[in-house]
Amino acid sequence: MPNRLRSLMILGLIGIASLPLIVMLAFLVIDSFSASPPGTLIPDRFTLEHWRFLWQTLPGRPSIWTATANTFLFAGATGTLLVAISSTAGYALARLDLPFRAFFLGGVLVMHAFPTVTLIIAIFLVLQVTGLYNTLAGVVLVKTALNLPLGIWLMKGFYDTVPWEIEIAGVQDGASRFTVWRKLVLPQVRPGLAALGLFSVIDGWNEFILPQVLAPRSDVQVLSVYLAGLISDDSRFDFHLFKAVGLFYVLPVTLIYMIFQNRLMSIYGGGTKG
Amino acid sequence: MSSSARLGLLMLAPAAIVVALLFVAPAILTGVFSFTSMTTATGITGGAWQLTSEAMGRLRSAGLAAATVDALAAEHYRIDETTLATAADAGVAAATIEELRTRHGGETFDNRRDFERFLKGLAAKPANVAALKAAVPPFRVSIVNVRYETAAAFDAAVAGSGVALDAAARDLVGREAYTGWRWTTANYGRLAASPETLARLGRTLLYVASTILFFNVGFALVLAIATYYLPKGPGAAVRAFWLIPRVMPVVLYVMLWKWLAWDGGFLSTVLAPLGVAPRNWLLDSPVNAWIFIVLINGFIGASMGMIIFSSAIRAIPQPLFYASAVDGASTLQQVRHVILPQLRWPILFVTSYQTLSLLASFQEILLATDGGPGSSTEVWALAAYNTALNSYTGNLQYGMGATLAVVLVVVGILVSLAYLRLFNFAALVERPRIEQ
Repeated sequence: MPNRLRSLMILGLIGIASLPLIVMLAFLVIDSFSASPPGTLIPDRFTLEHWRFLWQTLPGRPSIWTATANTFLFAGATGTLLVAISSTAGYALARLDLPFRAFFLGGVLVMHAFPTVTLIIAIFLVLQVTGLYNTLAGVVLVKTALNLPLGIWLMKGFYDTVPWEIEIAGVQDGASRFTVWRKLVLPQVRPGLAALGLFSVIDGWNEFILPQVLAPRSDVQVLSVYLAGLISDDSRFDFHLFKAVGLFYVLPVTLIYMIFQNRLMSIYGGGTKG
Repeated sequence: MSSSARLGLLMLAPAAIVVALLFVAPAILTGVFSFTSMTTATGITGGAWQLTSEAMGRLRSAGLAAATVDALAAEHYRIDETTLATAADAGVAAATIEELRTRHGGETFDNRRDFERFLKGLAAKPANVAALKAAVPPFRVSIVNVRYETAAAFDAAVAGSGVALDAAARDLVGREAYTGWRWTTANYGRLAASPETLARLGRTLLYVASTILFFNVGFALVLAIATYYLPKGPGAAVRAFWLIPRVMPVVLYVMLWKWLAWDGGFLSTVLAPLGVAPRNWLLDSPVNAWIFIVLINGFIGASMGMIIFSSAIRAIPQPLFYASAVDGASTLQQVRHVILPQLRWPILFVTSYQTLSLLASFQEILLATDGGPGSSTEVWALAAYNTALNSYTGNLQYGMGATLAVVLVVVGILVSLAYLRLFNFAALVERPRIEQ
């Protein structure tokens, strides 16, 4: 059957193109649990020694558990804050008779497309002066602010899909616009809220450059900064260890991704609509 | 104002405040900082006045007479309450101090030898040579390398040094001795004059163009079209697999590429039996470094195009495919004449969107090569970051880095305004229907 042959050919070609990725992911798991003699990639024994960072603190590094707790705090706080702020602002922009509405919407769009990393120099100086440098609160606020244009835009998109009839009915029954939003509209966009929250938690979990620049001190270090510090330390070059730490670091994201893959697909596709 | 408007403003307020403080303000401040000479050495909030040897060098090149500069730098030996107190602390005999205070207060000596001779002539002279040597330093006064917290204190010290300066020269000295940051347009001048600027522009262009061409649009198209022709299950699986680079933490992702490339890593080990000497493929030559940079970014970037193109292809009316099949079109002809023409707008969108994100992106390059080997992969955004926030010497040049960032910001704003034009902004800002 030609269709079947075509499919096999396509899969074969994609497989070749995906080879680097497949090799990297396979050896991420293999190397973290095994040791191999020098000059070969085939492991010769199973070992847990690369996971020693879990029960002993590596020299010159904070405890992995401090970093993990910080990462949970950072990702959780940015996710919560982003969803809370975007869900109200998105509604105001989508459905309320806001003065200067076009201006605000245009602003959100321009900021959404804005190269945010270029702001990091000024943000660094602002945090230095305000005393928020080297605090989790500071970097949480910054991360939320930089993600807000995307969050607001997505939420506006979700609100746009809610039928006007629901709101008009609510208003005619005498409910205030706020009550209508809380009781009638918000439940309609629950999937959107969940998608934005998940996206933002993953994004916060993965974030590297902001914590690296704004909160590098060891007691507020997150896992990305911890791992990057480990890798850039030339005196202890051990990819087995890096991979074990990396696997530990990526586990929560992997779980979220596997469970909620379909919901996330829409946001990673560029963030137009859910 | 209607109640809807009031509620709207209230609901928008938290977002507006956070965005204003940590998004808009930094954007404006980037522009402000680009007109300053701010570095780690100058500090952020302000400075002090200190006549350092660098400042004296600047004074000389600014045209102040060498004799005047030397006079400013000269040291004196003076007897006054301050130096006497220092001397008492340093253990100079009380009798000596008493005699100096009562009989010689206010006297100044131009060099060490004169002052020592003078001390030897005192009635209560120091008891021995060691005591004499110890008695001299407390009386030494010089404004060189002394830190004055205010301009007034510095001016007073200059006046006290006895060097005659006219008003213009005094201003010049004060300006050059100031250690804080100053307003300046020199950053832009340096940027325009530096040959690095053109090289960086070229590298940035190469980076953005090749990543978009080969991966963000090119490979994304291949993936989208290929998965369209696959059965549903495998198609979705391939798409999910290619989303992994984007979902994976960037530090881990780049670390895996580094493992692939380093001299004990995958490539070197696999190629060793073929007689290829092991090497760090990531950094051994500029060409290889660029190949890896484009691969690393392209693998991440392909997913966005893939998703957008896939849904655009699925939106093409099925009859078009049936008709072309009936007309005897091969798969390739279908792709060429049915699918690609329908993807014009998505391709334009992905290209413009990714141009902007790639222009500003530097994380992957920072983690992979940090601009190496040499500076052959240092793109504009990475140069801005390294200049302002990541220097080996420890002196971070905030002002110069901000100038580099401003160029990106200006390009960013222009490009994003162009998008709004291109992608029909008016349709996005329809008025709410309840109020109509």
